[in-house]
Amino acid sequence: MTLRELKVCLLGDTGVGKSSIVWRFVEDNFDPNINPTIGASFMTKTVQYQNELHKFLIWDTAGQERFRALAPMYYRGSAAAIIVYDITKEDSFQTLKNWVKELRQHGPPNIVVAIAGNKCDLSDAREVSEKDAKDYADSIHAIFVETSAKNAININEVFIEISQRIPVLDAGGGAAGNGFKLRRRPSETRTRTCC
Amino acid sequence: MDPLDSSESRLVESANAAENTESSLPWARFSSWLECVCVVTFDLELGQAIELVYPHDVKLTEKEKTSICYLSFPDSYSGCLGDTQFSFRLRQSVGRRGSWFGEEDAYSRDAPVTLQRELAHFYGYVYFRQVKDAAVKRGYFQKSLVLVSRLPYVHLFQSLLQIIAPEYFEKLEPCLEAVCNEIDQWQSPVPGLTLNLPVMGVVMQVRIPSKNDKPGGSPEKQAQKENLLPAPMMLPTIHELDLFKCFQSFLIHLQMLWELMLLGEPVVIMAPSPTVSSETVLALVSSIAPLRYCCDYRPYFTIHDTEFKEYTTRTQAPPNVILGVTNPFFIKTFQSWPHIIRLGELKMSGDLPKQVKVKKLAKLKTLDTKPGIYTAHKMFLQKDKSLIKRLLKGIQRKRPSEVQSAILRRHLLELTQSFIIPLERYLASLMPLQRSVTPWKTPPQIRPFSQEEFMGTLEHAGPQLTSVLKGDWVGLYRKFFRSPNFDGWYRLRHREMTQKLECLHLEVVCDADLLGWTKDKSEVEIVDLVLKLREKLMKAGKQQLPVKEGVLEKLEGYLQTVISSLPEDLQTVLHRY
Repeated sequence: MTLRELKVCLLGDTGVGKSSIVWRFVEDNFDPNINPTIGASFMTKTVQYQNELHKFLIWDTAGQERFRALAPMYYRGSAAAIIVYDITKEDSFQTLKNWVKELRQHGPPNIVVAIAGNKCDLSDAREVSEKDAKDYADSIHAIFVETSAKNAININEVFIEISQRIPVLDAGGGAAGNGFKLRRRPSETRTRTCC
Repeated sequence: MDPLDSSESRLVESANAAENTESSLPWARFSSWLECVCVVTFDLELGQAIELVYPHDVKLTEKEKTSICYLSFPDSYSGCLGDTQFSFRLRQSVGRRGSWFGEEDAYSRDAPVTLQRELAHFYGYVYFRQVKDAAVKRGYFQKSLVLVSRLPYVHLFQSLLQIIAPEYFEKLEPCLEAVCNEIDQWQSPVPGLTLNLPVMGVVMQVRIPSKNDKPGGSPEKQAQKENLLPAPMMLPTIHELDLFKCFQSFLIHLQMLWELMLLGEPVVIMAPSPTVSSETVLALVSSIAPLRYCCDYRPYFTIHDTEFKEYTTRTQAPPNVILGVTNPFFIKTFQSWPHIIRLGELKMSGDLPKQVKVKKLAKLKTLDTKPGIYTAHKMFLQKDKSLIKRLLKGIQRKRPSEVQSAILRRHLLELTQSFIIPLERYLASLMPLQRSVTPWKTPPQIRPFSQEEFMGTLEHAGPQLTSVLKGDWVGLYRKFFRSPNFDGWYRLRHREMTQKLECLHLEVVCDADLLGWTKDKSEVEIVDLVLKLREKLMKAGKQQLPVKEGVLEKLEGYLQTVISSLPEDLQTVLHRY
C-alpha cells in the first residue's frame, strides 16, 4: 500500500473550535475547557483511503489576531486547508471569507479548501444559515459540512472528503506529491503528536 | 509472583509517572531542549541589550545576561554584513539553582559522553542580522536571535535558527511565542530515538545518538529508508560539523592539532569571523571523540567575557582551555600562550586551499600577524601522509565536502581509538575477579591505576596493533596522564566500574540464602543487614544502576521477609525508617 503524507492546516476565527475538531478527529475526545492555541499545535493521524494510506500532518493554528501574520508558514505547502467558522457567530463567517481570499492570493495553487460550520449542536443560537454557507462554498468549489466536535458529527467526513479530492497519484510516479511504497507497517493507523 | 512480570509493570508505571510530571510542569518539555530564547539588540545608549527573553519567567542572572549580550554580537572588527550564524559557550553563575536534570537521569545514562547535558555551562546558538536600515539612527538594523541550551546540538539548533530567525525578524514576538510553544510540544530527547520535531509548518526529523551506537557507524542511513514523503526536513546529524570545511586550511597539520586537543593544551584560535572561530573550536573539540574533551572551551570569546581576567592573567601558566577569538587585540594578550592558530580568509593556491604554516612563537610579536600555527609543540606521532594525499586528491576530484568530512572523521576516530584501546584494556584488568564478589563482604576494591604497569603492557598490546603511525606513543601517554582529559576519562570509567561491581554484588546477594543466614544471628546483626541492604537498594535506584531485571524487586521481597521474621516491636521501628 502507498503511504502519502498530507499537510493540512486549520484556519479560522478564535474560539470557533479548530482545536476541538482536531482533537475529536485524532483522539476522539472533547474537552469543553480547551485552552486557546498559541502559535500552532501539530498532530498526525493516518487513515486508509482506497488502496492508499493518508497520513494527515495537521497544523492547528491559533485564531487570535496577534498570530495572524504567522499563518503563511502553516498553509505553505499544505495539500488542504480546513477553514472553520462558528454557526452561532456571523462575524466568524466573515473572517472565513477573508481566509479564503488570503489563500487565493498567497496559498498553494491547488490547495483543497474545506469549510466547516462548527457547533451545529447549538442550532437554537444559529446566526449563519446552512444554505448561505453552502451556496458560498459551492461558489468557490470548496467542500462544505456543518460539524459538531462536541457531538462528533461530520468530523471524520471532512477528512474523508479531503482524501477524495486529493489528486490521484500518477502511476508513473510523475505527480508532484510522490507516494512512497510501504513495507510491512500496516499497524500504524494512529499516532499522536510527534513520534 | 513472577519477578520478571512485576519488574516490567513497574517500569511501565514509572515511565508513565515520569511523563506525567514532565508534562505537568510548565515549559517542562521546552526546557529539556532549551533554557530560553533571547533577542539581543544594539541600543544607542546602552550598547548591546537584551530586548526579549522567552519564556518570560526564565531566570538568568545579571552576569549571564551581560555575557549573552556581548557574546551574541560579532566583534566590531568583523564586518559581517547580512546574516551570520555562530555559537558560544558561557559559564553559568555560581550558586544558580541547578536544573532539574540530575546527573543520574536517563538521558545522561544513555547519551554518548560527548553529548551530555552541560551542568555548569550554557551554549548559545546565534543568528545575527546586520542590514542597512535608514529608519534606524545608526543606519543599521542589528539584532541577534539566540537559543540558549545545555545541549551541544550545534547542527540541530543552527538549522532551527535558519527556519525561525528570518521569520522572527519579520513577525516579531508572536512568532517567538509560537515557536516556543511548538518546542514545548516536542518529545524530550531520548538517546537512540528518531524524533519528529514540528516547528513553523515544517517537521524536522533527527536521531538522537546513543552511547550504544557503533562508533563510526551511521544509523541515520537506515532511518532514511523508512522516510516518508513528502520528506520531512531530515537532519543527518544533531551535532556534527562539516569537519573538512573547518579544517581545510590546516589539513596537513591535523595530527598536531589532534595531539594538542588530546593533551588539553592551552590553544587560542584567532579567526576572521565568529562563525569560523566557533566552528573551528567545536570541530577541534570533537576531533578526539569518543573521548570527551574535559577542559573548558569557548567557541567565541570576547574581552567582555566574565572569565577574561581569569584566563588572561600573566601570573600563572595559561589555563587548559581552547578559546576562539576574532579581536586582533588578543594577540598581545595571548603572547605568552604556547599555541596560537591564526586563521585568515581562506585562500586558494590552484585547486587546493592554501595550507597555513607552522611558525615560531617569537614571530607572533608583529602587529599584523600572518596566518599560521604559532607553537613550539614537538609532535609525538608522525603525520599520516596517506590521509593528507587522499584528502588533497579528493579536492582535485571535487569529492563532496560531506564525503571528505566522513573520511576525516573516520581517521580521527581510528586514531583516538588506537590511543584509547590499550588504556581501556588495562583498566579492565584492574577490575576484581567476579568470583571475589561474595554476598557476605563489601564489594572488593578496583586496583589502583599504575602508569608504570600500564606502560609495561604497551610492548605487546600497544597502539601499534591498530595504528600504522610511528612515533613516541609512550611520551604521548605520559603527557596525557597529566591532562584533564585523562582525569575526566579515568573518573568516568572508574565510576562505571564501581557501579558494575555494585551490580554484581547485588546479584550475588540476591542469589544468597539470606533467610538461612539470619537463622543463627543476633537481632543486632539482622537489623544491621536490613539497614545495609536498604541503603544499597536506595543507592541502586537513585543511580539507576543497570542491574539485571528482577534483582531489585527480589531483594526488596527478601528484605520484607527478613523484617517480618523479627519481633513485632522491631518490625514497626524498621518499617518506619
